[in-house]
Amino acid sequence: MKMKGLTGLLAGVALAFGLGQAAMADDVLDRGIGSEWSSLDPQVNFDAAAGFILMDAYEGLVIYGPGGNVVPGAAESWDVSADGRTYTFHLRDGLKWSNGDPLVAQDFVNSVFRTLNPATVSEKGYYFYSVVQIKGAGDIANGVTKDATGLGVTAPDDRTVVIELLTPAPHILNIIGAFQVPPLHTPSMQANGAAGFTDPAKVVSNGAYVFREIVPQSHVLLEKNPNYWDAANVKIPFVKYHVTEDVSTEFKRFQAGEIDVTYDVPVNQLEDLKTSMPDNLFISLSTEVTYYSFNLTKPELQDVNVRKALSFAIDRELLQEKIVKGGAIPSYSYAGGFDPAYKGPQMPGAEMTQAERDAAAVELLAAAGFGPDNPLKLTIVCTVAEDRVRLAQGVALMWKQKLGVEATVEPMERKAWLDAFYAGTWDVFADNLVGDFAGAETFLAYMRPSAEPGYNWVKPEYDAQMDVAATMPDKASRDAELAKAEKILLDDMIFAPIAVEPSRILVSSKVKGWVPSATGYYNSQYLTLEP
Amino acid sequence: MIRFIGRRLWDGALTLAALVTLTFFVMRLAPGGPFSRNRKISPEVQANIEAAFHLDEPVWQQFGRFVWGVLHWDLGPSTRFRDYSVNDLIASGLPYSLTIGFWAVVVATLVGVALGIAGALRRNGITDYAAGIIGVTGIAIPIFVIGPVAQVVFGLKLGWLPVGGWDGTWRSLVLPVLVLSLPNIAYISRLTRTSMIETLRENYVRTARAKGIGWRRTLWRHTLTGALLPVIAYLGPATAAIITGSILIETIFAVPGIGRHFVDAALNRDYPLVMGITLLYGGLLILFNIGTDVVRAILDPRLRNER
Repeated sequence: MKMKGLTGLLAGVALAFGLGQAAMADDVLDRGIGSEWSSLDPQVNFDAAAGFILMDAYEGLVIYGPGGNVVPGAAESWDVSADGRTYTFHLRDGLKWSNGDPLVAQDFVNSVFRTLNPATVSEKGYYFYSVVQIKGAGDIANGVTKDATGLGVTAPDDRTVVIELLTPAPHILNIIGAFQVPPLHTPSMQANGAAGFTDPAKVVSNGAYVFREIVPQSHVLLEKNPNYWDAANVKIPFVKYHVTEDVSTEFKRFQAGEIDVTYDVPVNQLEDLKTSMPDNLFISLSTEVTYYSFNLTKPELQDVNVRKALSFAIDRELLQEKIVKGGAIPSYSYAGGFDPAYKGPQMPGAEMTQAERDAAAVELLAAAGFGPDNPLKLTIVCTVAEDRVRLAQGVALMWKQKLGVEATVEPMERKAWLDAFYAGTWDVFADNLVGDFAGAETFLAYMRPSAEPGYNWVKPEYDAQMDVAATMPDKASRDAELAKAEKILLDDMIFAPIAVEPSRILVSSKVKGWVPSATGYYNSQYLTLEP
Repeated sequence: MIRFIGRRLWDGALTLAALVTLTFFVMRLAPGGPFSRNRKISPEVQANIEAAFHLDEPVWQQFGRFVWGVLHWDLGPSTRFRDYSVNDLIASGLPYSLTIGFWAVVVATLVGVALGIAGALRRNGITDYAAGIIGVTGIAIPIFVIGPVAQVVFGLKLGWLPVGGWDGTWRSLVLPVLVLSLPNIAYISRLTRTSMIETLRENYVRTARAKGIGWRRTLWRHTLTGALLPVIAYLGPATAAIITGSILIETIFAVPGIGRHFVDAALNRDYPLVMGITLLYGGLLILFNIGTDVVRAILDPRLRNER
């Protein structure tokens, strides 16, 4: 009798747990974000993990719709002046903050000013003084003035935001469409300071979701925002962002149904998953490019033909398909890849077959005076990440077999690797760069000014061509000028293009509405959950 | 006794001070800083950020600032997790690490001692062999193998327990505690068994039996207190090691504890967080060692007179 009672109790407890889980599972979208968010302060955050969360919690003037297209957000429409230097955004009528306060144009102005203000100690102000050049932004960020009146972001009335630029920037919508320009709820900022952003009871936001729980190293739980203007079309009531540092644990949690959308996929499982879960695996381009830079201060590498020989001898397809196997797309250019509208050039030799390139490489290197008696000796500096080391070893092997080059691979942890770049203690630097938006300009602008330390590439023609591109107000003519600049860059072969890195995501069959995008933003408001 | 404890505490404080000082300066020798990144920000902004975290000051001055902070119970802001101070991060993560560590120690001690006694009393019996097998596997197979295997078996195949994460119930506690305690169960059971067998042969045990004291009473009163001394000596450092060594467990099972910060903070050159965790872990280790010495001194009168 006693046993029966105990068993009954246990069964009841188990049932309660089971039911609780089932009820939760239906209305919570569980998403992995990799390592922990660096900051939930919308004017300070700087990483993808925080980006995912903030894109759900805050809405900018424009936002990224399904597939990564820019669509109206808090602004229902906008006008661009003929010279491409003034953008006027018209806010929707009746916008509200999550606490019911009216959302006004000045909230956007305050956000940009707070980002730039040195007192905020934010790194992301460079979007406004470098990526796009807003009038007066540089002076505020660099501490020349503390006065907001010179800033080219203004609110003539409660429903109009005007942005004035120093140079035309057709990519501005991509910048303010990401999580970079959320509005700032000034009363709570004044009351709580930055600490308010991590207290779910205090944080006021304007996106499709509001914060409900924030647990460092564990998760952020978001709940649907009833005051969002498009709340009727937000289908999933809760979104839980889990810190998923360990990729194989994340994968197992996905298999167990604990995570619906992963941050990454274990590389060693990739081949299996292509056949076992083809409908759940999404491999798409990201805005990260990998390229091997040559040290132009090293006498041997000052000869463009030596650099060409080294670049030619890399079999990019073989590297990705047989050695790295991480799903990266072999690349012969630098800045294109994810923007179909941009028709950029390819590196010299891209038109040849690999066999032809190999033959040309041998000739070029021999002509430069290197051979079996006088082998070229190089060190490749890369990060300690397993796939990066494998890539470097693959490249070194190809150079050894085809050209007799004696290359040694020197893996370093990330911070040391970054420092090594500027110290110049490398011959070949396994470089990678994440673009600020999915366009060519973000990468080409990074190479400016060309003479800056690091690449040590003195090329006034390149800077001049980039200046020409910067004056073009419309995207098509601007892309044409950018392509000319990229040709100057690729022809000098200061680096060997290697690949465009992929984003690898597993999406549960329950989740509907997932459209791959190079920008990597997948707002939860466009997704639905099926039981 | 009080003098003994006081002396140990003073030694511990000196050790901790040396550890922290060394860590502070060695950390600065590593290349790269908390704000090393691709060139994108203007030099003025970079300088402003570094100044905000006092990284522009000479190292000795930064050290002075750190010591001053420690004396005021303030470990400074984290450079990687901008929303939190080091105090916040420790306050948020330590309870998880302590919970897992505490239960792992309890499980390891109870199961380990029980298995050890059983093995010693019925030498070469089935229990002894079973304990031996658990012992060898527990010590030989590392946590990063047992952990994922446990996840697959109990989380994926059987579906009894969550694979990872922290859902606030006992369910997410089971696997991390089990896996963390396994190597210690193994070690403690071996230690108990050996020590038990030795003690059973001691003259005083034989004398006790010869005086006509019952078998059970001899076991509990005379044998166990002696036999558990090495176990207790092991438990102090082991407890500290379990709590501080749960880094792997916390990563594998996605537990939001403090251990995960330890390695990441060093890789990110989050100087304040590295210092905070070093201080915490160093302090814990030293305290547990002192605690062990005190308990041993209580159990074994000979040790008390050493100093």
